[in-house]
Amino acid sequence: MDSLITTMGIKIASAIQGVLGIAQSAAINYGIAALLVGIAVMIIVTIFDYLFGWIERKLVAKIHLRHGPTRVGKYGLLQNAADFLKLFAKENIIPANANRLLFLGSLPIVAAIFALSAEVLPLTPSFYGVDLTLGLLIVFVLISFVPILIFIAGWASGNKFASISAQRSVMMLISYEIPLFIVIASVAMLAKSFSFISIVSAQSSLWYVALMPLGFVVFFIALLAELERPPFDLREADSELIAGWLTDVGAPLYAIALFIDYTRVFVGSMLIVLLFFGGWNGPYLPPSVWLAIKVLAVAIFVVIVRATTPRMRLDRILRLGWIWLVPLSIINLLWVFLLAIAVV
Amino acid sequence: MAETKINIGPVHPSTHGVLRLVVTLDGDTVKHVEPHIGFLHRGVEKLVETRMYMQSPSYMEKLDYVAPISYDEAFVATVEAALGIEVKERAQYIRVIQLELQRIASHLLWLGTAINDVGQLFSVFMWCFKDRDIILRLLEEATGGRMFYVNMRLGGLNRDLSPGFANHAYKVLDYLEHRIKEYGSYLESNPVFMERMKNIGVMSKAEAISMGVTGPTLRGSGIDFDIRANYPYYVYDKLRFRTQFENGGDCFARYKVRMDEMQESIRLVRECLHTIPEGDAIGMPIRLIGPQPKEKEVVVKRELPRGEVMMYMVAEGQRPYRFSIRAPSFINTSVLQHLPRGHRLQDLFPILASVDTVLADVDR
Repeated sequence: MDSLITTMGIKIASAIQGVLGIAQSAAINYGIAALLVGIAVMIIVTIFDYLFGWIERKLVAKIHLRHGPTRVGKYGLLQNAADFLKLFAKENIIPANANRLLFLGSLPIVAAIFALSAEVLPLTPSFYGVDLTLGLLIVFVLISFVPILIFIAGWASGNKFASISAQRSVMMLISYEIPLFIVIASVAMLAKSFSFISIVSAQSSLWYVALMPLGFVVFFIALLAELERPPFDLREADSELIAGWLTDVGAPLYAIALFIDYTRVFVGSMLIVLLFFGGWNGPYLPPSVWLAIKVLAVAIFVVIVRATTPRMRLDRILRLGWIWLVPLSIINLLWVFLLAIAVV
Repeated sequence: MAETKINIGPVHPSTHGVLRLVVTLDGDTVKHVEPHIGFLHRGVEKLVETRMYMQSPSYMEKLDYVAPISYDEAFVATVEAALGIEVKERAQYIRVIQLELQRIASHLLWLGTAINDVGQLFSVFMWCFKDRDIILRLLEEATGGRMFYVNMRLGGLNRDLSPGFANHAYKVLDYLEHRIKEYGSYLESNPVFMERMKNIGVMSKAEAISMGVTGPTLRGSGIDFDIRANYPYYVYDKLRFRTQFENGGDCFARYKVRMDEMQESIRLVRECLHTIPEGDAIGMPIRLIGPQPKEKEVVVKRELPRGEVMMYMVAEGQRPYRFSIRAPSFINTSVLQHLPRGHRLQDLFPILASVDTVLADVDR
């Protein structure tokens, strides 16, 4: 199935080749088209990150009874741009007892992982890079690398707070990853596919959140932990570990960390919308608008959770994972199993 | 697993000042905590000995910048005791009003910072600061100062209450009563908050007494002791004052005591505003002080928001010969050596917050 953007990409690619006077080749065409789609998705992700950064600052400020950014640009809209410029203009300090390669390398890799998983997510029925048959699985395999990379980054910085944060990262991993994957399995079971496009089209009449509310709750909680959002932000616990695994990073790397912060909210909100809220399905409005509305709504909810819940304790998260989330996700799996039998 | 030593402070987001804790960790369990203090030592006691009596209140206020009026009042009361000066009746009422308002402001600041330490709940921090600001504005209306007041004078005050003060105060108190209740119900219905506070840093009655803690930290261990009730000063014995205490001994009990104390202070201020007599409340101007002390050696005890302060002064001529403070935060800080032992690293911060130390007060 060729998407609109891919066909357009291939047309543009062949035009470029014509101008350059290279012999036409399907493989090169496809490569250039994939690159173009990739760039388009990255632009969209950047726009989301920028907007989300502004929304988060403004919304949290409103909950705090503050104003938030007001000075740079109208309603402080340019504040994030100013901050990024400032961060990139600063010196990148590397601690003396840090492992240079791992310390400098792991953060960009984490950023790349989230960017890569954003590439796999389809944005509308006709706008996506590749419709992989195992797209869902690939996204979660990519995201599962993140805690390990964070462990490496924390360890490599040679800071005690960072290494405690790294240990927490691995401790948390064993508590939320299993329920997350069980819920994904039940989604795939219900849609009989791992491809996002099929999962979304299977929800055209009824959203999965209505079919398995329990699974949604488990998924949302586990995803918050996976994305390191409050109340599960133990890795970055401000009032305890200063900045956790980011304690020693310099300003440019911290800008990358901010990019990671926002991109993972994009990936997380997209996953929730695609798997449970019918993706781009919706009446009257075009699919892309529906998707944007739903993703922003989920992102705003994530911000509200941040501003209203205190941070949990590490051992309590483990308990929550094993006593509540794992059994509930298994119950959800059984429920989906029964549903699938009933439908067949 | 090998033991890790980490330094929490003197520059750390949740030590609120320059407290340095050297924490020995076994995995995630706290094995040993060693508080290091003294980064903010200014030698205030010696400074007071070089000055005339009424030159010192402004130094006293900076000892506990969260509750300046309370320290100011304690010092002026010490000087009054040494010089044998009676406080005018209206001034007594006004002092109680200001002390209790200051107590609410101080506990509100504590609530905000403590909740932020417990779980990054910055929203409550901002709300509490906003409410505290309303009290500061009220105190500004009464005294002329926003943060540091220096309003106490020997035998009375610098300024009487402004004519519209009572009406304004009633409005603020109604609002605060509602807000504090709301914070309480919001926090106590939050399971995450409750499990971070309940059964954390338990201090038994015997421990509390033997470690010499005072104030809400003591009353959180179920001991009914408050200087305002047990050794009443000013008009506290005329007011219907009930000591607030909780039996838990954990962080939650200490939190609850402070929440109840805020409500109790609101009641006290209302009662004072109802019963305050007319009359003169202005004290002696600073330049007129010159009488010889009647008593040479005085000890004055006061209940500050953070606990019991005891001021010892040997008065001699125009300035004190010896002056010493038993600071509540200093004694309470020593508890940090014992309470977190065996808890998780994350529990150290609720414990640190629940003891409520002000480092300027610890180091003096």
